[in-house]
Amino acid sequence: MTDIANIALWLTLLIGVWGSVMCFVGGIKHLPDLAASGERALYVVWGLLAVASAGLLHALLTHDFTLEYVAAYTSRNLPLWYTWSAFYAGQKGSLLFWSIVVATFGSAAMISNRGKYRDLTPYVAGTVLVVVTFFVSVMVFAANPFQRLGFTPADGNGLNPQLQNPGMTIHPPMLYLGYTSITIPFAFAVGALISGKLDTGWLHAIRKWTILSWLFLSAGIVLGMWWAYVELGWGGYWAWDPVENASFLPWLTMTAFLHSVMIQEKRGMLKRWNMSLVVASFLLSIFGTFITRSGVISSVHSFAQSGVGYFFLIFLVFAAVSSITLLVYRWPQLEAESKLESMVSREAAFLFNNLILIVIAFSVLWGTLFPILSELVQGTKVTVGPPFFNQVNVPLGLLLLLLTGIGPLIAWRHASTGNLKRQFLWPVAMLLLTATALTLVRMSDGWAIGAFALGAFVVATVVQEFVRGTGARMRLHQESVPLAFVRLVGRNRRRYGGYVVHLGIVMLFAGFAGLAFKSDTEATLKPGQSVEVRSPYGHVFRLTLDGVSQYEQLNRFVTAATLEVSRDGVPLGLMRSEKRQHLNSLGQTTFEPSTEVAIRSDIREDLYVVYAGSVQGTEESVFRITLNPLVWWVWYGGMVLVVGGLISMWPGGGGPTAASRRRAEPAGYVARVTA
Amino acid sequence: MNLTWRRRGLVLLCGLAPASLLAQTPARTTAGRVDSSDGQLYAPAYVQERAPSTARDDEAVVKDIEHKIRCTCGCNLDVFTCRTTDFNCTTSPAMHRLVLARLDSGMTETQVLAAFVAQYGVSVLMQPPKRGFDWVAYVMPFVGLGVGIGLLGLAMRRLVGRQAEPVAADGPALANADPDAVERLKHELEKFES
Repeated sequence: MTDIANIALWLTLLIGVWGSVMCFVGGIKHLPDLAASGERALYVVWGLLAVASAGLLHALLTHDFTLEYVAAYTSRNLPLWYTWSAFYAGQKGSLLFWSIVVATFGSAAMISNRGKYRDLTPYVAGTVLVVVTFFVSVMVFAANPFQRLGFTPADGNGLNPQLQNPGMTIHPPMLYLGYTSITIPFAFAVGALISGKLDTGWLHAIRKWTILSWLFLSAGIVLGMWWAYVELGWGGYWAWDPVENASFLPWLTMTAFLHSVMIQEKRGMLKRWNMSLVVASFLLSIFGTFITRSGVISSVHSFAQSGVGYFFLIFLVFAAVSSITLLVYRWPQLEAESKLESMVSREAAFLFNNLILIVIAFSVLWGTLFPILSELVQGTKVTVGPPFFNQVNVPLGLLLLLLTGIGPLIAWRHASTGNLKRQFLWPVAMLLLTATALTLVRMSDGWAIGAFALGAFVVATVVQEFVRGTGARMRLHQESVPLAFVRLVGRNRRRYGGYVVHLGIVMLFAGFAGLAFKSDTEATLKPGQSVEVRSPYGHVFRLTLDGVSQYEQLNRFVTAATLEVSRDGVPLGLMRSEKRQHLNSLGQTTFEPSTEVAIRSDIREDLYVVYAGSVQGTEESVFRITLNPLVWWVWYGGMVLVVGGLISMWPGGGGPTAASRRRAEPAGYVARVTA
Repeated sequence: MNLTWRRRGLVLLCGLAPASLLAQTPARTTAGRVDSSDGQLYAPAYVQERAPSTARDDEAVVKDIEHKIRCTCGCNLDVFTCRTTDFNCTTSPAMHRLVLARLDSGMTETQVLAAFVAQYGVSVLMQPPKRGFDWVAYVMPFVGLGVGIGLLGLAMRRLVGRQAEPVAADGPALANADPDAVERLKHELEKFES
């Protein structure tokens, strides 16, 4: 099976090269048979990658330790679920995972657009094939998951304990799906640029793909934050690590695109900008992969250093040069179809929103790469850690939050003074009220006050939009409140789904603001001893060490410290933090002991307890106790964000807008008031 | 590993299943656990050895300094986060002891930080110092914002055309209109454009 899978990989390389050449030659020379043959090659590539993937899965599940990859990432006693996740836990397997996902998305995009966009599809298939072929070539020449060891070990190394967490089984695939699905909008953009079909047709083709990609990235990032929080034990969820930043960058450009594309659909403007954003998003996804896999910038998340970084660097340069050349070539044809009617319009607000998103992306990229620049200029490497990123991005983030509220309040085309007064009255009142109230209760952090006040402003805008829209439907159609509400959302899911996303963003910002009030305490306790910690809300938590127990469980040896917890004298129950020493099937230790955090979470704050270790091998234990206000809001904000995205892309309510369809046949319209 | 202990662990594991049914009862003991009467752990080798924490470890000034310096073990974390997270790291506890010793010697926070920079170089700081070329790190994002605003302004000047007629504005034509009719017009326009 393994040999068949390995052969399938080599065949994928050959057919991928052949198919991509056929697609581009067939498209450019207008030879439909050649192009169709190239397009069919994409399905063949998918089939071959499916065989290769099945081969790797088979090897993992049957513990074929003759394969270096299987021996490096699994062991006989690794639970089945984590054995499956070893497919993408290492460099080589993740490259195969990436390839099969891109091929699957590419095939799905071709099938879902069968018979449509005939001028574009050869280039779409060709671009997808180039990307897949690149990944396969990296595997074949530098990181083959089917590489054999010269011997058969009795057992494998097992999976890194920190990866043995439910969050880790979902988070990486989500991020991979997000990264890889950006290939489809990029492929359509390349198709539009090469074919010269630069109307809004290609935008219609990629609408759901862009939202899908954004959704996967969002879910992947939030799940990654959750995994870091519950598994790593440092009491936080975002460390501005280069690899984290790499996932954030395409998310920012995709978010900008999801806003600015509306202007192109409605007004035929920003064609160059939108094309550039799609290209930038793809390049940033490859850049992120380069960062993760090259080791050029030190990161806690990086795969082991290997030669694959050079492959990604070359591909990044190739993709950047070719797509920018195409963009420059078609630049004159990407002229806006209409003019901006006023600086006080939703279009203008979206432009500012795009500007802030891109500046944040720039600052994150800048901070990530600055150590390299500093070393080149000064000869000394500096560290650019969370203090820098927080200092720079908090003001920019608040500006973005402000624009999140302002955008929906301003009318398209031109907003009159009356319109502005009517729209801004309640949201601004909420902003001022919140800021005043928080100042009066002596909240100590100015940035947090800003975040909460702006959050209230955005929530007020969203509520106002829902209330007014529902009210309008009730008056016009004599509908009940629930019916009017449901039909309002159903009639324009993209818009109202977007508002739900805004609510999710506010919840996330509220959670981030809570970090300003985080506190850590270290304590050493013997059984029966207690420690008290005071939360920012004034509550006193009392933690009493009940005892420490040790036992074997699954593939690990567990040392568990149990604490009794009360708040203001009211018992809350037991919390248990563990040390886990993983063992292979021979009873040999694998990896260093890892920590399982005890978390008691509610809507106000998390009590986060880490069992740090034992004093002289006794039950006397050292703990770190962290009080983390408002973390709950981050996880539920992430969920609301995803729900909003799902509403936006749900079938039936996410088709091209009337204005967008009209772009093909531009004409004015007349609105007449009849008595 | 010790065979006797493994057998014992298996027996205890078997006890876990029925015990989990009683999970709702507020039992103070955990099924399957090995308690020691003398407070000594059965298998201390499987858990990290830690020095008892002291009140000084929690001092604000200590935490403040340690949040500003990077653990040099290569983990990318600050000293406080590393020593309270990565319990296998021996570098961050050593750097912590150094922070305490330097404070004990009468150094101020600034002097302690300067001593670490002298010892490890500027990369020991969690953010670039605000001096010389490193200022560029802080300034550039805001320069980018300024340039962006400038470019956006220029683009907008090009994009903003002469307004032929105030399509959606509350102009004179609508000033005297029936408010309900205006509301309906807005609604229709909104529906049309959405």
